[in-house]
Amino acid sequence: MLDGLGYFATAIVDLFSLGTLFNVAWATLLGISVGMLPGLTATLGLALLTTLTFKLAAGDAVMILICMYVGAIYGGSRSAILLNIPGTPANAATALDGFQLARAGRAGEAMGIATAGSFFGTLVGMLALAIFAPLLAETALGFQSYEFFWLAVFGVVISGRLTGMNDPLKGWIAGFLGLLVAMVGQEGVHAYARFAYGDPNLAGGFGLLPVLVGVFGFTEVLWVMKNPTYQAVKDAAGSVIPKIKAVVVHWITIIRSGLIGTFMGLVPGVGEDMGAWVSYAVARNTSRKKDEYGKGSVEGLISAETGNSAAVPGAIIPVLTLAIPGSAPAAVLLAALFIHGVRPGPLIMIENPAFVFHVTAMIFYASAAILVFGLLLTKPLLLVLRVSHIRLMPVIFVLCTVGAFAIASRLFDVWVMLGFGVLGLALRLLGFPMAPLVLGVVLGPILDVNLRRGLVLSDGSLMPFLTRPISVVLWVIILVTFMLGSEWFTSRLRRLTGRFMPKGPGDDGSPPPPGAP
Amino acid sequence: MRRDLLTSLVMIALGVGVLVESLRMPRFEHLGVNPYTVPGIVPGFLGAVIATLAFVMLVRTVVAWRRSGDVPVVAGDDEPGSAPRLLITIVLTVGYGGVLVGNVPFWLATFVFVLAFLLVFGWRADFADAARRAALLVYASLAVLQAGVVAAAVTFVFERIFLVTLP
Repeated sequence: MLDGLGYFATAIVDLFSLGTLFNVAWATLLGISVGMLPGLTATLGLALLTTLTFKLAAGDAVMILICMYVGAIYGGSRSAILLNIPGTPANAATALDGFQLARAGRAGEAMGIATAGSFFGTLVGMLALAIFAPLLAETALGFQSYEFFWLAVFGVVISGRLTGMNDPLKGWIAGFLGLLVAMVGQEGVHAYARFAYGDPNLAGGFGLLPVLVGVFGFTEVLWVMKNPTYQAVKDAAGSVIPKIKAVVVHWITIIRSGLIGTFMGLVPGVGEDMGAWVSYAVARNTSRKKDEYGKGSVEGLISAETGNSAAVPGAIIPVLTLAIPGSAPAAVLLAALFIHGVRPGPLIMIENPAFVFHVTAMIFYASAAILVFGLLLTKPLLLVLRVSHIRLMPVIFVLCTVGAFAIASRLFDVWVMLGFGVLGLALRLLGFPMAPLVLGVVLGPILDVNLRRGLVLSDGSLMPFLTRPISVVLWVIILVTFMLGSEWFTSRLRRLTGRFMPKGPGDDGSPPPPGAP
Repeated sequence: MRRDLLTSLVMIALGVGVLVESLRMPRFEHLGVNPYTVPGIVPGFLGAVIATLAFVMLVRTVVAWRRSGDVPVVAGDDEPGSAPRLLITIVLTVGYGGVLVGNVPFWLATFVFVLAFLLVFGWRADFADAARRAALLVYASLAVLQAGVVAAAVTFVFERIFLVTLP
């Protein structure tokens, strides 16, 4: 188990070069800027950079993408603290206490604490990656088509439940729509072009990246232009260098939030936002100073930022070992790995073991970069928040167009980007979340191949799908998720438990069922 | 509420449509293909799931409607926003990505798009005032500058540094 740490140390030395440091520096800075700008998410940043770096060597491109990912999730804390607008969805919990601290004139301190939290969170997740990825890959060698089928369903169902917070049904519909989108074009077994109707472009299928750039980039541009602009910050007071003592006191919170965040990242389809929210909730419930939460609690801030940053390496673990993404940005990273000819999956520790540790080392460089930039470049980074939306959005859209075109050099991909952008806007206006949709597009081919392969292996019997140990765990969780997300079931459950227990106000914090008195 | 009703009906139609199309996909019986590998099986399954979920949504919406008149259940994102701004953005972006790109040189298309975007959205009512002509001129020349810089930089960086083919 500790061998992993040795390989990891070697990988850090292996990767060290001026070229590496240069790439780490610009990609992390770009990531922080993308994260800081409300409306630009880590998913969009990764999708655009994937298309733009695909001519680079695989190692360089993956390094740049990982720095973008780590940087963006961290950068979002800046706007959460200074503007009360989370730069990426993962930083929503950060805004709760971060903005209160900033209002109390402690913005500098809050940014420093957030930086330390992100740094340590990334480190915890990174160590978990080095230690657990090989173990998980070994376990996953026992997975067959049945398990992979359930993992694909699990991903969209869990993601649908968690991102469609007040309406899981729409989250699930979005997830299955995503799976359906992946069905268009030639399938892998008989090379039959589904839903193509003789059109050669449709027979090629919708490229994942044009779809992603459409849904996360173009939709976002439209969304931002539709809504009124935000107030830019003028200045931030106080020193950003955190007092070592202020961080050390919270070491338990840091380690706990780091582990929670990593776990949340690891679960397919859950991701950084839940890493932050769950860490925050647990920190609050176990805190001795509960009343301070939401009013400027340093502990709350540190738990949220540690949680979301730890989820980044966490989400990369299943990308490498199962080829199943832990979160929406990780889905893009997975696509990028395929583009660069890396074959992630259970065999990675056999075919390409050094790669796992190289990725771990890349995360290490990225975390070092956010620490350095976060503490030293506070003032220059504030300039990013002064850029007006009207100036920024046309540039983003030009990049979306170039990005969609770049991968395959076909104009059809630009139309796909436009189409999915408008579709994404419509779905978003109707209350459908985007993350399960994207996850569905990535998981579609996995579901397709494994359902059919599983049925062939079992000769049409559903028993292996239902009885193999890991399959049982997966489908039971899926079933419970479905049931807990249905108002019909929960209201009956509540009525049933209500007979035995006295009713407390707001038992579970979920919205009341429609028509409830 | 009405949106949810309409959405669920559209989704049911989509799910059923996909299911029907999946059943019509070839099964390659003459090739002696294993029946569990036919192309229609997975999209058929997905179509059925979508139709079922959408049907649940329809029932939920109708039940809630009957119970409480016309109270929205879980509405979509009702954030404040401006429909005209949205429409103008769609016209500009689709005009650029769908029409200009591929038909005129990329740098020219980009220059025109960025300039149009900046001029349309940066327009302030007081620019029409003759006394504010100077402010308008400054803004317009800055917009031309930005459009030029973006067009040149994107073309140069992607063609020369990232070696990406541009449309």
